[in-house]
Amino acid sequence: MNLANMAWRNLWRRRRRTLITGFTVGFGVMLAVTFTGTGDYMYTNMINASAASGLGHVTVEPRGYNHTPTLDKRLTNSTGIRQRLLSLPEVTDAIVRITGQAMFASATKTVGGMFMAIDPAQESPEHNLLLRSLVEGGVFSGTTGRGAVVGERLAEKLNLALGKKLVYTTTDANGEIVSEIARVSGIFRTGVDEVDGAMALLPIDRVRETLNYGPDDATLVAVMITDQRRAGRVRDVMTRMVGSPEREVLSWHQTQADLAGLITVDASANYISQALVGLLIAAGILNTLLMGVLERTREFGVMMAVGMSPGRLFRLVLMESFWLGLVGLGLGVLMTTPWYLYLYHVGLDFSGMLAGQDYSAAGVLVDPLMRIRLFKESVAVILVGVFLLALVSGIYPAWRAGRIPPVESLRTI
Amino acid sequence: MKPLNANEPPHEHIVRLEDVSKIYQQGKIQVRAVDNLSLDIDTGDFCALCGPSGSGKTTVLNLIGGLDVPTQGKVFLENQDLGDLNGAEIARIRRDRIGFVFQAYNLIPVMTAYENAEFVLKLQGRPERECRDRVMAILTEVGLAGLEHRRPDEMSGGQQQRVAIARAIVTQPAVVLADEPTANVDSATADSLLDLMQRLNREDGVTFLFSSHDQRVMDRARRLIRLRDGRLGSDEVRP
Repeated sequence: MNLANMAWRNLWRRRRRTLITGFTVGFGVMLAVTFTGTGDYMYTNMINASAASGLGHVTVEPRGYNHTPTLDKRLTNSTGIRQRLLSLPEVTDAIVRITGQAMFASATKTVGGMFMAIDPAQESPEHNLLLRSLVEGGVFSGTTGRGAVVGERLAEKLNLALGKKLVYTTTDANGEIVSEIARVSGIFRTGVDEVDGAMALLPIDRVRETLNYGPDDATLVAVMITDQRRAGRVRDVMTRMVGSPEREVLSWHQTQADLAGLITVDASANYISQALVGLLIAAGILNTLLMGVLERTREFGVMMAVGMSPGRLFRLVLMESFWLGLVGLGLGVLMTTPWYLYLYHVGLDFSGMLAGQDYSAAGVLVDPLMRIRLFKESVAVILVGVFLLALVSGIYPAWRAGRIPPVESLRTI
Repeated sequence: MKPLNANEPPHEHIVRLEDVSKIYQQGKIQVRAVDNLSLDIDTGDFCALCGPSGSGKTTVLNLIGGLDVPTQGKVFLENQDLGDLNGAEIARIRRDRIGFVFQAYNLIPVMTAYENAEFVLKLQGRPERECRDRVMAILTEVGLAGLEHRRPDEMSGGQQQRVAIARAIVTQPAVVLADEPTANVDSATADSLLDLMQRLNREDGVTFLFSSHDQRVMDRARRLIRLRDGRLGSDEVRP
């Protein structure tokens, strides 16, 4: 009989204990999938929502603009840059925009805020959160008109409604104060106060004219990519492609540093929780295997007496932990699959706990519906991680089994 | 049955102990389990170590089997000083040259009779076919033909001890060390086990060294070594 076969039979000598430990490992898989999957889903949603708020997953902008976003800094030949970036396979969209600070005024009030000048022909609701969140009216047509789409809270502050006039004042490319009139064509509500209370969309060519920009000038090209996790790599490729002393390419980690920090802290706490759960599982496996070793001390003594080497005995017990890991993974897959499918298709709705309020973090609305999405890499990490955990947990009992002198083992009853 | 090591010349003294002592520390007290013992066991012996409890019988078997190391003196097996060997070499000697039979059978519970008997051959890395032929032959020889698929908990004490004997002799060892092999079985079973071991000794030349205070074992032994307080009391060879 080979070691694997023997280890398998040994595992089932204490069927109940093996099953309890197997279910513990399975429960660990379920927790790891839940923690990781909800994290993968939530972080991706937040990052994509943040990207759709204006800057994209990767941004091409004038050097220094990210640190000091003044309108005297601008990209020239933005259309050419956009066209080149669209040729990259990982880029799903590239959008030329002008963003800046402005004072918005109506007949009754003045409020400070931000504008984003766009070409509606380049925009889509998928990649523009504000257009996706329209609650009244619609986006202006063309790029030279005097339309404006404003946030719901900004409209409330300025007593604006569809068709009402809005005056925006800002500094132009030369640092001169300039103003322009617009008429509200639409109102959006994202649920994020700092966006709804301060943002307005304006036609890009009208803004270029107001700012004394050239016909192809802009402050940024927002680039959307297929997978936010590859933003750093895509940024490097884009830097080689369009980088220059005057312009830089930044990933969302750099342009949305608050969000990146929040996700890092949250993910770290998540990993620590998983590590603690892993420790508990490892303790369970170690306990099961160690008990199995200690109660078979005499049997191991006999095996060594008839010529089994300590190394072979070590491998036997390690093989038992290998099987225990596999059994645990199997049970884990069985336990986790229905739970995963439920979270994937239905999710857990926590909106009731927020009493109807929207909850945002780092300028991004957090979805109160907890759903799950597990990246393939995460699946591999969880399965390999749990399996390695089982193997590592078996090392001490295996070492212990091989170290007991046979003569002492044989004295054990 | 053809010996596995047929090409090796027989050693006149399979086992030799030279001024061997074994001292155990029990708390603050030193116990001298074996005290300056010297003796030889010859090829083909059917020899019993006897004496009261605590006389050092099992300790001597453990020293000869390389399961324990002497505090002083030397133990030779086939002229090889066991003190010169490292752990792996001792394990190899136990695997290839020594057979063990224990009082409590000590079969591996997850294995069948066949697999228990085959265990040491597998450790030696013998080919599958050779294992099968040898194990089936040995199980037939010890009277277990037809029971090879039973696990230990499906067999009587006597049957389990026969499996243990089969496991001990299947590799054709230089010596079989049997520690109280009849202590856990009834009289009839003990007699039949002794018949079996006597036959294996007589017909196949297997060397047996027993530790026992069972009168039946002592009656059948051709050589009777009496131990008293770890020392040699008497050494009687019978015709």
